[in-house]
Amino acid sequence: MTDTAREEILGRINQALGRRGGGEYVSSASGTVPTGSPPSATGSEQSHGTSGEAEAAGADIPAAGGGMVNQSADYLRTGTHEGEDLIELLIDRLVDYKANVHRVSGDPAATIAGLLDSGSKVVVPRGLDDSWMNSFSGEVSVDAPGQELSIPELDAQAAVVTASAVAIAQTGTIVLDGSPECGRRAITLVPDHHVCVVRVADIVDIVPEGIARLTPTAALTFISGPSATSDIELKRVEGVHGPRTLDVVIVDT
Amino acid sequence: MTFLGMPLLRSTRHDDHEIPGGQGNIVEDESFAGVSHQHLSNQQLRNNIGHATATIRDKRSEVVAELDDWEALREAGSRAKNHVMENLPEYLAEFEKNFTAAGGVIHWARDADEANAIVTELVEANAPVLENGRREVIKVKSMATQEIGLNEHLETQDIDAFETDLAELIVQLGDDKPSHILVPAIHRNRDEIRDIFMDKMSDAGDLTNEPAVLAEAARRHLRHKFLTTKVAISGANFGIADTGSLGVVESEGNGRMCLTLPETLITVMGIEKLLPSFDDLEVFLQLLPRSSTGERMNPYTSFWTGTTPGDGPQNVHLVLLDNGRTRALADEHGRTALNCIRCSACMNVCPVYERTGGHAYGSTYPGPIGAILSPLMTGIEVEENGSLPYASSLCGACYDVCPVKINIPEILVHLRGEDVEANHSPVSSQLDAALTGASWMMSDGKRMAAAESGLPIAHAVTGGEQINSLPGIAGAWTSSRDIPALPEKSFRQLWAEDQARAEEEDDET
Repeated sequence: MTDTAREEILGRINQALGRRGGGEYVSSASGTVPTGSPPSATGSEQSHGTSGEAEAAGADIPAAGGGMVNQSADYLRTGTHEGEDLIELLIDRLVDYKANVHRVSGDPAATIAGLLDSGSKVVVPRGLDDSWMNSFSGEVSVDAPGQELSIPELDAQAAVVTASAVAIAQTGTIVLDGSPECGRRAITLVPDHHVCVVRVADIVDIVPEGIARLTPTAALTFISGPSATSDIELKRVEGVHGPRTLDVVIVDT
Repeated sequence: MTFLGMPLLRSTRHDDHEIPGGQGNIVEDESFAGVSHQHLSNQQLRNNIGHATATIRDKRSEVVAELDDWEALREAGSRAKNHVMENLPEYLAEFEKNFTAAGGVIHWARDADEANAIVTELVEANAPVLENGRREVIKVKSMATQEIGLNEHLETQDIDAFETDLAELIVQLGDDKPSHILVPAIHRNRDEIRDIFMDKMSDAGDLTNEPAVLAEAARRHLRHKFLTTKVAISGANFGIADTGSLGVVESEGNGRMCLTLPETLITVMGIEKLLPSFDDLEVFLQLLPRSSTGERMNPYTSFWTGTTPGDGPQNVHLVLLDNGRTRALADEHGRTALNCIRCSACMNVCPVYERTGGHAYGSTYPGPIGAILSPLMTGIEVEENGSLPYASSLCGACYDVCPVKINIPEILVHLRGEDVEANHSPVSSQLDAALTGASWMMSDGKRMAAAESGLPIAHAVTGGEQINSLPGIAGAWTSSRDIPALPEKSFRQLWAEDQARAEEEDDET
C-alpha cells in the first residue's frame, strides 16, 4: 500500500516541479551528492518572481547533500571570544537560563560531592571518570550496556552526574552525545537533578562551531538550562518534566 | 518592497491533472470576516492575546538584536529551504535511504486518512490493551498530527492519546482548540487554566493560579504516563537528508520523555521538513529558537538517527506526509510557504491575528502563514478558504520577521487573485468589462476628448458636490470613500483655452 503511496507522492512532486514524465528522481547510492536536476528547463527559477534574493540563489545553486551552507556562508562561522572571555560568556548565559554554575581548577570531586545530598542515590554513566565521585558518600549506581537501570530504578535516583561533549557559550547550551561519559539519554532525563561537568577545552563560542564538533548520527541532546515552560501567560517557569535542577561544573584541567 | 498592486499573476500549473489537496484541520469553514466578529467581541480573549503577543514580540526583538549576522542567517535559511524544494525528490530518497539504514521504518502517506490509518495500525501492533479495554499513547506537540486530526481519529479506534506539552494539555483538558502554533493556550489566562485543572485533573488537589504551581500539577499528572507508556507519537522540526536524522525542539522535557522512554516511537513529518545536511543546523538552530520563543536557545533539542542500540526506542517509525504539500509546491507563486519552520513569529507581529486570535482562521495553521498555507494546501475554492487571504492589511510585518524570508504579503495578494478568479466570477466579469471599456477609450486621444466633453454636463448633474455612492460594483469602492466633486472643465479643455488665449496675446503684440 505504502509503496504505491511513495511512488504517487514522488510523482506529484515531479509534476509540481514541472519535471517531465515523473520518477526522474535519483536515488543516491553513495549517500553523498544527489546531483538533483534543478528544473531549469521548465523555468522554476523565474517562478520565484519578484523576490530578487531567490533569483540570486537560483543562479548559484550550491551542491546538495552536505556542506551546502558552508560553500555560500556569509554569516559568522567562528566567534570572537576566547580564553577567560569565552568562559565568562558561557557562565553569563547559563546563569541567565537558571542553571547553577561552579568553576573548578583540577579535580572536581569535592565540588561534585558538595552539590549532592550525602547518602543519596546517584547514577553515573559507565565512562565517567572514576575519580570524580571519590568524595561522594552516597550510593553510586553505574549504568552500563547490559546493566542498565530500569525506569523505576532511575526514578529512584536523586541525581545523575555526567560529562558533556560540547558547550556553546553564546547560547548557554551543553550537548550530550551518548558517549560512555555522557551516558544513554534516559539517565539524564528521569532523575530530578543533573550535575554536568564541562571541560574548558570543550567550550566553543557560537552555534556553527558547536555543530562542527558533533557526530551527527549519535543520539544528541542539546540542553540550555533546566526544563522550562512559558505556556501560562508567557511567564517562564523553570522545572517541568526534565531535571528541575541543573548544576554545571566548569573544569579547568 | 512588497508588491501591492492589482493581483494579475495567474498561477500556471504544469499539468492538466490537478494535484489533490489535503484534508483535515486545515480548512477555513466559516468566512474569516464573519467569524472574526465573534472573537473581536470577546474582551477576555483580546486581553490575553494582546498581552501574550506583545510579550513575545519584545523577547524576540531583544535576542535577534544580539546577532550582527541575523540578516545573513535569514538569507541562508531561505536559500537552503528553496534548494530543498527544488530538489525534493532527491532529498527524500537520500533521507529515506539513510533513515532506513539506521534501523528506522518509513511509511508514506498521501493524505490525512492514510496517515491516520498507518499510525493506528502501528499503535495496535505495539501498545497493549489496558484494563479499560483501550490502548494508550503519549504525544509530543506536533502540528502535523493536529493537521490530520490524529487524536480524534485514534479516539474512534479505542486509543487514548495523551498530549504532554503543558499548553496542549490545557487545550485537551479544556476540550478546546489550539489558537497559536507555539503557545496553543495563549487565549487562556492563569485563572482559567487553574479552573480547567481543578475540574479535569483527578489528582490536581487544591491549586493556586501561580504558573509554577500549575506547572507542578502538570508534572505530577503526567509523570506516571511518561514512565509506563509503551508507544509515543511525535512530530519533527527537522529531517536531515545526509544522515537520516530527525530533530525535535522543545522546552519542558516532555519531548525528551516521549522520544526516549517508550519502546516504540512513531513520528509524523511533512515531506517539506528536510534539510540537506546536518551542517545546515548551524543556521536553523539559530533562526528557530530566537524567532519562536524569543530565547537564544530552547531548553531541550533532541536528534535521533533511526535506532541507537541500548539507548531509547528500538522500534522507530516515520510517516512522511503529503496531505496537500505537493499541491502547494505546484503553485510557483506560493510554494515558498512550504519553507515555513513553524516558529510563529508572523502571528505575534500581525495586527489582525492580535485582535482576532487564532480560532478565527479555522485551521491548525493560524495567522499570516495560515492564511496562505490553508488555501495553498487544500484549495482556494474549498469552503471559506477564499476569505483567508483578506485577513491582512498587507503591512508586511510578517515578512520582516520571517526567519526563512517567506514573502507572505506577496502570496496573500496572489491568492486574492486566485480567489477572485475561482470564487467571484460575476464580479470579475463586471470589472473586466469596465476595464476593457476604459482601455478602449483611453487608448485614443479623440475618444478620450469625446468622453470628456460630457464633463460640464456631469458637473451640472452632480451639482458640483462630491459623490458619495456609485452604482454596480463601483458601489463597493464608494461604500468607504467619497469621490471629489467633478470639475467644470477637463484639463484638455483648460489647455485648449489657454493656448487660444496665448495665441490672441501673440497676435496683439
